[in-house]
Amino acid sequence: MSHLDAIPLWAAILIALLLVAGSSLVLIGSIGLVRLGSFYERIHAPTLGTSWGAGGVVLASMLTFSILGGRPVLHELIIALFITITMPVTLMLLGRAALYRDRAEKATDEPPKRV
Amino acid sequence: MPIEHNLLLALLALPFLGSLLAASLPANARNAEAWLSGLVMLGGLVLLAGLFPSVSNGQVIRAPVSWVPSLGLNLTFRLDGFAWLFLLLVQGIGFLVVLYARYYLSPKDPVPKFFSFLLAFAGSMTGLLLSGNIIMLVVFWEMTSLFSFLLIGYWHQSAAARDGARMALVVTGAGGFCLLAAMLLIGHVVGSYNLDRVLASASMLRGSGLYVPILILFLLGAFTKSAQMPFHFWLPNAMAAPTPVSAYLHSATMVKAGVFLLVRFSPALGNTELWFWLVAGTGMATLVLGAVVALFRHDLKGLLAYSTISHLGLITALAGIGSPGAIVAAIFHIVNHAVFKASLFMAAGIIDHESGTRDMRRLSGLMRLMPITGTLAIVAAASMAGVPLLNGFISKEMFFAEAADWHNGSILDDALPYLATFASIFSVAYSLRFIHTVFFGPPPVDLPKTPHEPPLLMRRPVELLVILCLVIGILPAASLGPYLQAAVTSVLGRDTPDYSLEIWHGFNTPFVMSLIAMGAGVLLYVLTARWLPGSPEGPPLLHRIKLQKVFDRMMLLMSWKWPRQILLRIGTERLQPQLRLLVALALGAAIWVLADAGRLVPDLTEGSFDPAFTLVWIVGAACALGAAWQAKYHRFAALVLLGGAGLATCITFAWLSAPDLALTQLLVEIVTTVLLLLGLRWLPQRRTDIAADRLMAARVRRGRDLVLAAICGGGLALVSYTVMTTAPGPSIADWFLANAYSEGGGTNTVNVILVDFRAFDTYGEITVLAIVALTVFALLRRFRPASESTGLPEQQKLQDAADHRADGRQPGDTLDNYLLIPSVIMQWMFPAIILLSAYLFFRGHDLPGGGFSAGVTLAIAFLLQYLAANVRWIEDRLRILPTRWIGIGLLIATATGAGAFLFGAPFLTAHAQYLDLPLIGKVPAATALLFDLGVYAVVVGATVLMLIALAHQSLRHSRSRDKEDS
Repeated sequence: MSHLDAIPLWAAILIALLLVAGSSLVLIGSIGLVRLGSFYERIHAPTLGTSWGAGGVVLASMLTFSILGGRPVLHELIIALFITITMPVTLMLLGRAALYRDRAEKATDEPPKRV
Repeated sequence: MPIEHNLLLALLALPFLGSLLAASLPANARNAEAWLSGLVMLGGLVLLAGLFPSVSNGQVIRAPVSWVPSLGLNLTFRLDGFAWLFLLLVQGIGFLVVLYARYYLSPKDPVPKFFSFLLAFAGSMTGLLLSGNIIMLVVFWEMTSLFSFLLIGYWHQSAAARDGARMALVVTGAGGFCLLAAMLLIGHVVGSYNLDRVLASASMLRGSGLYVPILILFLLGAFTKSAQMPFHFWLPNAMAAPTPVSAYLHSATMVKAGVFLLVRFSPALGNTELWFWLVAGTGMATLVLGAVVALFRHDLKGLLAYSTISHLGLITALAGIGSPGAIVAAIFHIVNHAVFKASLFMAAGIIDHESGTRDMRRLSGLMRLMPITGTLAIVAAASMAGVPLLNGFISKEMFFAEAADWHNGSILDDALPYLATFASIFSVAYSLRFIHTVFFGPPPVDLPKTPHEPPLLMRRPVELLVILCLVIGILPAASLGPYLQAAVTSVLGRDTPDYSLEIWHGFNTPFVMSLIAMGAGVLLYVLTARWLPGSPEGPPLLHRIKLQKVFDRMMLLMSWKWPRQILLRIGTERLQPQLRLLVALALGAAIWVLADAGRLVPDLTEGSFDPAFTLVWIVGAACALGAAWQAKYHRFAALVLLGGAGLATCITFAWLSAPDLALTQLLVEIVTTVLLLLGLRWLPQRRTDIAADRLMAARVRRGRDLVLAAICGGGLALVSYTVMTTAPGPSIADWFLANAYSEGGGTNTVNVILVDFRAFDTYGEITVLAIVALTVFALLRRFRPASESTGLPEQQKLQDAADHRADGRQPGDTLDNYLLIPSVIMQWMFPAIILLSAYLFFRGHDLPGGGFSAGVTLAIAFLLQYLAANVRWIEDRLRILPTRWIGIGLLIATATGAGAFLFGAPFLTAHAQYLDLPLIGKVPAATALLFDLGVYAVVVGATVLMLIALAHQSLRHSRSRDKEDS
C-alpha cells in the first residue's frame, strides 16, 4: 500500500463501496448469464454489468485518480459513454439473430413478421 | 589522374542518362529523340577524343569506384587502347545509326522506346568494354543481350520479330550464363576478379586442373554471342529487327563482343593446342559455312547476316591462331568489317525502305533509279569481297598471310590456306550477286513502291562509312595506324610485332590467294547466276538441316515437356501433402539442430505461479484447441474461438507489461476476424457425409496428421518455454532500452526500434506488406466462389419474400432497415475512430501507439463503414484509393530515408529534436515520425485494399445475378 495512502478515509470508504457495488453487479450479471433459462432471458443479464456495474467502477476510478492527481480526472467518462452506446447494439443484434433463427426453424414457410 | 576518371565515368553514365531522358519524351518527338541520341553519341566521341592521349602508348586508365567498401566490393573501370578503339566504333557508328534511324522509322513507330533502348544498349556496351572486373563484365554482357532482345522485338506486332527476339535472348542468355560460370571459375583459380590480375595470370590458368572446363564455358559464352557454329542460327532470325538495329547491334558492335572477349583473353587463356583447335576450328567452320550459305540467300538482309557470321568466323579463326600477327589482323578486321558491313546494312535498309522489298529475286536495275545509293553499296560490297584499295582488302591479306603461315603443323593448320581461299571464293561470289541482281539488269517491275533516292540525311551515314572504307583502304597507316597501334600494344604488350599497314606487299602468297579467290569467285557467280533465283534458300543438301528446328524442338522439350513430366512425378496440387511436407521438414530440421542441446528441459522450479494468469491461459488454450476442433465443419464457431485465443494473447501482453504489443494485437485481432468473417461468406458449406471419410485409410491419415501436429506444436511450446524461462543475460535489448531516448528521441523503445534503429527492416517489411496486399487483390479479383455460395443468403431470401407479401413494401426494405441502429452508430463512430487513430499515431514515439497500430485503427474505421451499409452506398460517399495510399506511403518512407543523404548521413538516418508550436507548446519532432507516416499510409492502404477486394465480391455477384435474371 504505497500511493493509495494519500487517499483520505472518507474517500476510501466511498471508493470501496462503489467498487464493491459495481463488481457485485457484474458478478450477478455473469451468474445470470449462466443460470437463466432461455436465450432471451439470458441476454438481459449482462446489461447489469454494462450499465451500473461499469458505472460503479468508472466512478470509483475517477474519484481515486482525481484525489491522487489533485485535479479532476474525467476521461473514464469516455469509456462509460462507449460502453453505453455499443453494448445495447451488440445485444440487439444477438437478439435479432436468435429471433430470426427460432422463427425460421420453427416454421420454415412462415417468415418473420416484423424483423 | 582524377580528371580522366571522371571522363571515364561520364562516358559510361552519358548513354544511360540519355536513355532515361529519351524514354520520357512524347511518342511523336522524332526530331527531339534524334537530337538527344545524336548529342549523346557525339558527347561520347568527344570524351573518347579527350582520353586518347592517355592510352596511346599502351597505358591503361583505371578508375576504381568504391561501392560497398565494407564488403570489399569495388567497381573498377579501365580503359586501354583496344577498348578505346572498340568504343570508337560503338559511339561513332552509334551516331550514324541514330541519324539513319531518324529517317528510317516511320512516324507511326513509337520512337521513345527505340531510342531509349538504343542508348541503353550503347551504355551497356560501353560498360562491357570499360569493365575492369570480370563479374561486372558479365553483368554488362547480359545487359547487351537484354537490350538486343528488346530491340529485335521492337516491332512486336510481328511474330517473326517476337520469335527472333526470344531465340536471340535464349541463345545469348544461355551463353552469358556459361560465361558467368567461367568467370567464377577463373576468379576461383586466380583468386581475384580483377581483369588486370586475371590477364597477368596466364600460366596459373593454363596450369590449373580447371583449365578445360573454364575454356569450354568461356568459349560457349563468346561463341553464342558472336554467332559461331553451331549457335549461329539466332543471327539470321534477329534480322526481323529494324535495319538500324541490324546495322548497329548485329553487325558492327554487339556480335563483336564475343570476338572482343576472345582477343582480350587470348593472352590469358590462349596459346594452347586446345585453344587452337577449338577456336580456330570453330572460326574456320563458321567462315566457310557462312560464306557458302550467304550465296544462296534471297533476302538482302539474310545474305548480309550470313556474311556477318562468316566474317565473325574469320576474326574468331584469327584469335584462335593467336600469333601476334593474327591478333593484329583480328583487331584490324573488327574495325574494317564494322565499317563496311554497317554501310551495307544501311544501304539494304534504304533499298527496302524505298522499294518495299528485300527479295533479290524481285529487285533489279536499281542503278538507274538510285544511282548514288547504288554506287555507295557497290563500293562497300567490293570492300566486303576484298577488292584492292578498299579496307576489306588489307585485313583480308593479313588473314591470308596468317593462314598461310606455319604455326604448329597440325592438319587444321595445314588446311587453313585452302579453307581460307575456298571461303573467300564464296565471299566474292555473294558480294557479286548482291551488286549484280539489285543494281543491274532490266528495270524492276511490280515493286510495292517506286524506288527513288532516299532523303539526303538518310544517305549521309552511308556516304561517310564508304568514304572511311576508301580512306582506310588507300592510306591505312596514316588514317588508322596510331589507333590500331595503341589497341595492339594494349593487348599484346611486349609481344607487339612489327607490322606494316601497306597496300602493296609485293607478289607474295596472300596476293596469289586473293587473285585465285577473285577469279574463282567471279567464275562461280557467272556459272550459278541463272540457277540461283530458283534454288531453295540454302546450299544443296545443307538447306535441309535446319538448326532453327532443332532449337525449337529443344525449347519445347526443356520448357514444356520435361518440366511437366517432372512436375507430374514429384509435384502435387493438393495442399495437404504440401503442408505435411513443410511441417515434417521443419520438424526434421528442428530435431537435427536440437538433438544434442542439453538445456531443453523446462525449469519448472523457477518463476511464480499466478492463478489468474493461469486461468487466462487455460481459457486461451481451450479456445485454440476448440478452434482447431471446429475448423472443419463449423468455421464460424472456429473463428469465434480463434478470437478468444487472440484475446488471451492480448491479455498476456498487457499482463507482462508490453502495452504496445497488447494494443497492436487487439487491433490486428479485430481486423483479422472481420476480414475472415467476410471471407467465410464465399466458402461453401462442407458436406459431412462423405463415405470415403470413414474408411480406414482416411482415419490413418488423420491420425498421422494429428501425431505430426501434436509433436510439432508440443515441441514449439517446449522450445518457447525453455527460451522464455532462461535468463537472457546482457543482450541487445539493454542497449535499446538505454539508448532509445538519447539516440532516437523517443521513450517508446518498441517504436524507436521500429522506425529508427531498425528502420531498414521496417522499410523492407512495409514493402512486403504492399506486395502481399496487391497479390491478395490480384488473386481475389479473379476469384470465382463455388456455385453453392453465389446465391443470396438464406436470411435475405426470407426477408425479401416477406417484403413481397406485405403491402406497401419493396423487396429489400427489410434488409435496408435491418441494421439501422448499428449502422447509424458505426457511422457516428467514424470520426471518433479517426481521432483515435491520429492520437495513437502522434503519441507513438513516446507512448504505446505508432504508425502500425494507428494505421490498423484507421483501417478499422473504414471496415466499420463497409459493415454498416452496402458497398455502393459507401463508395458513393467515400472514395478510398488504397493503391494510392500504399504508393504514397512507400514514397514518403523512401523520401524520408533518402533525405538523410542531403545531410551526408546513410539511408534512413533519423534526427530528433523539439519544436515550439504556438498554442501547443513544445512538441517532440523526429524525422522518424515522417517515416512512421509512410508506414501508416501503407498499412491503411494494404488493409483497405484487401477489404475492398472482399467487399467487391458481393457486388460482382449481384451484377452477375442481375444479368442472369434479365
